[in-house]
Formats: sequence, structure tokens, C-alpha cells
Amino acid sequence: MKSISIFFKKNIVLCLIATCLSIQGCSTNVIVAGEYPPALVQILPYNAGLVLNNVFTDYSFTREKDDKKITITLGESQTELLSQIFGDMFLKVSRFQAIPQAGKNDLDLLIVPHIEKLQLSMPDETSINIFEVWIKYKLEIFDHSGILITEWFVSSYGRTQTRFLKSQEAALNQATISALRDAGTQIITGFNEIPKIRDWINQKTEPSDVN
Amino acid sequence: MLISLLFRIIPPVLLAGVAIALLFLSGCSTSSIVDEQKSSSVKLELAPGQSIVILGRRHGSSYETEPDFINCISNNIANTARLSVIQEQVFLDAFYPWFEPRVAPLKLPPINKVLNKPIVAKKIKKLGVRYMVWVDGSTEIADEKGSITCGMTPSGGCLGFKSWDKLSSYEATIWDLKHLTEKGKVKVDSKGSSYVIGVVAPIPLIAQVKDVACKGISDRLKGFFDQ
Repeated sequence: MKSISIFFKKNIVLCLIATCLSIQGCSTNVIVAGEYPPALVQILPYNAGLVLNNVFTDYSFTREKDDKKITITLGESQTELLSQIFGDMFLKVSRFQAIPQAGKNDLDLLIVPHIEKLQLSMPDETSINIFEVWIKYKLEIFDHSGILITEWFVSSYGRTQTRFLKSQEAALNQATISALRDAGTQIITGFNEIPKIRDWINQKTEPSDVN
Repeated sequence: MLISLLFRIIPPVLLAGVAIALLFLSGCSTSSIVDEQKSSSVKLELAPGQSIVILGRRHGSSYETEPDFINCISNNIANTARLSVIQEQVFLDAFYPWFEPRVAPLKLPPINKVLNKPIVAKKIKKLGVRYMVWVDGSTEIADEKGSITCGMTPSGGCLGFKSWDKLSSYEATIWDLKHLTEKGKVKVDSKGSSYVIGVVAPIPLIAQVKDVACKGISDRLKGFFDQ
């Protein structure tokens, strides 16, 4: 019995040291890793350009609150998502790092996405025991001559119930993937519903002929 | 001081044994209530190549139907009823984005808007999706009582008692995608109490409330189909 007691006491000391260390350096780092399915959508017969600059492709969100630092790196994942869905939506998509010169290419449309805001909510901050992530995107859509057709704001939401996941990192990863999937859903289902895009499609009498 | 004295007088192993015996006598119970509605007494048939998909509702603001619960029902039906069941995530990915929480049809008539899209209709036909089962509900923890402290006793073990109730409430609705009609509903409510007693080591006695609900709803759903 004495040896059991000594064993527990030793372990308690180790646990306390570990707890103190974890409280001192309390930070959560999440590199969002998710796979996005191909979009089941009727292809629009246009050549689109997708401008994904370094700010977008390397985007990382950091929040420091009550001595807790949370970093979510989602640049690569959101780049993958948008490349996937626009690639499925249009006949041809070319990727650019900066806005190309208007009129010197065969593009019908140029899409420039920006991440405007990311917000998150942890289970201890709300009455519901879930992780929540909100992402707000702004998509600037230009025509072939570089004239802005519309600025489209997409606010997406994702969440995860804590009890299904092993760690805070895994929960935030899943909530962010869910928010990215939601952004993709809105872009795919809403693109043709934007009045200015609808007008542009109606005006475009001769879709470009690729291949 | 008192705790230390208690541990000296009564061996911890004996304390644990007594506690377990008491719990087995009194708690860790689950109960289940099932309600069922059928549009007709005729069994639903699946032709060769046709399949069922079971999907969770995730549009609510305060809860979402758990993916593991949907997998539990899908696996139960696929394994025991020999019916062809498409896994939820496979279906959601194959039809992305048309059944994502934000846009998934909540009622039967609006599903026409999705099914009328040629590309969606083609895929439904290709995968042979005949019946869609929507499951709505969640398992919640209620009435938590007590606490357990570990490492604070002289022996270094745990001491205390914690209990909680779990409530599962789920409703499944079967849609026939061929005739665009609702074929029936099954509602299962299940509840149970779980305990953890801390005597040297924490001893959990967990009521499998969600598993009971899964089995209840799966058994009833299987009853709808001609197997």
C-alpha cells in the first residue's frame, strides 16, 4: 500500500509540473487541413481568372484573449477550396498571383477573393458547448476589360461539437473546414443569383470558345 | 484528516467494491420510447441497384445531429438488413453542395428544385438513390451532480462521486425520391443516468443512451423495408 501511495504522489507532482507548464505557454496552433469534394454543378462556358495573392494563400488568423493565443493557418486550405470550386464552375480557370493587365488575355471574368474577417467562439464563451468559426470573404468580380461587375460578400459559418473530438486543435480544424465548405456552398449556389452577374451572363451573347 | 482516517480504517479496495455494488443495484439504467407512423402497411422495396441514404439535420442553431449517430444507423441497417446504404459523408461529397446544411431541402416539395437540376438527377440515377432518410435530433447531457477530485487524498487516488443524465431524442423521416412522397416517421426518446465514483481510481458506469437510441431507430427503420 505504501508503494502505491508513493507512486501516486510522484505522478501527482509530475502532473502538476506539466499543468503549470501548459498554463504558462497556453497557445493553440491549427494548420487547417481538409479535402474538398468536387462541385456537382453545371459548367459555365466562360474563361475565368482567379487571383490568389500571397496575402490570401498565406493567410493566418491570430487571436489573443485572456492569456490564450490561438493561431489558425488557413491560407493553403482556402486556396485549395477556391481553386477546386471555381475550377468546377467554369470551363477554364487560370490562376494569377496579381491582377493581370486587362484586355491582354482571353479571360471573360476575373475573380479576386479577399478574406475580410475571421471570428471564432470557444465552448467556454457561449452557452452552447461548441466551437464556432465565421469567415467573411469579399469577391471582386471584373469583366474582360477590367471593369468591376460586382463586389460580393460571402459570410460563412462552421461549427463542431466538442464531445466528438480529441483536442481543441482538431475541433478548430473541423469547424474551420466546415466554414470553408459553407463558403463554397454559397459561392456555387449563389453565383448565378447575384443580379449583376445574372445581367452580365444575359448580356454575354457569345460565350468564349476554348479548346 | 477525516479522509485519511477513513482510508486507514477501511481498505480502499473494499470501499470501491461496496460502491460498485450499490451502483449496480440502483443506477446506470436506460429507457427508450418509440413512436412510429407509416403512410401504408406495404413494405418499401428496393430494386437491385437501388439504395438508401441516411442524413443528419444540421440546420438548427443550438444543436446538430451527430455524424457518428448517423453512421451508427447506416451501419446497423447495412449490416443486419442487407439493404444497400450509402454512407452519409460519401453522399454529401458526391452531391456537394446541394445537401450541405445551409441549402439542404427541409421539406419534401422543395427537393424538386434540387432534383430538377439535370446534373443532380443524373447522379441520383447513377447512384440509385431511392429513399432518403433524414434524422433530426441530438443527445444532451442534463442534471450533472457531484464532483471527483484526484490526487488530493493522502493515497494519491481519487475521491468523490459524479452523476449525470443523458437524453437522446431523434426523429427519422423517410422520403421516397421516386414518387416524392413521405413514407413514414420514427421517433425515439432514450434516457439514462451515468455515474463515476472515485475511490482510489475513478470507476465509470456509463449508460449507453445514444447506442440504445441508435438501435431503437435502426430496428424501426428496418421494419419499413422489405428485406
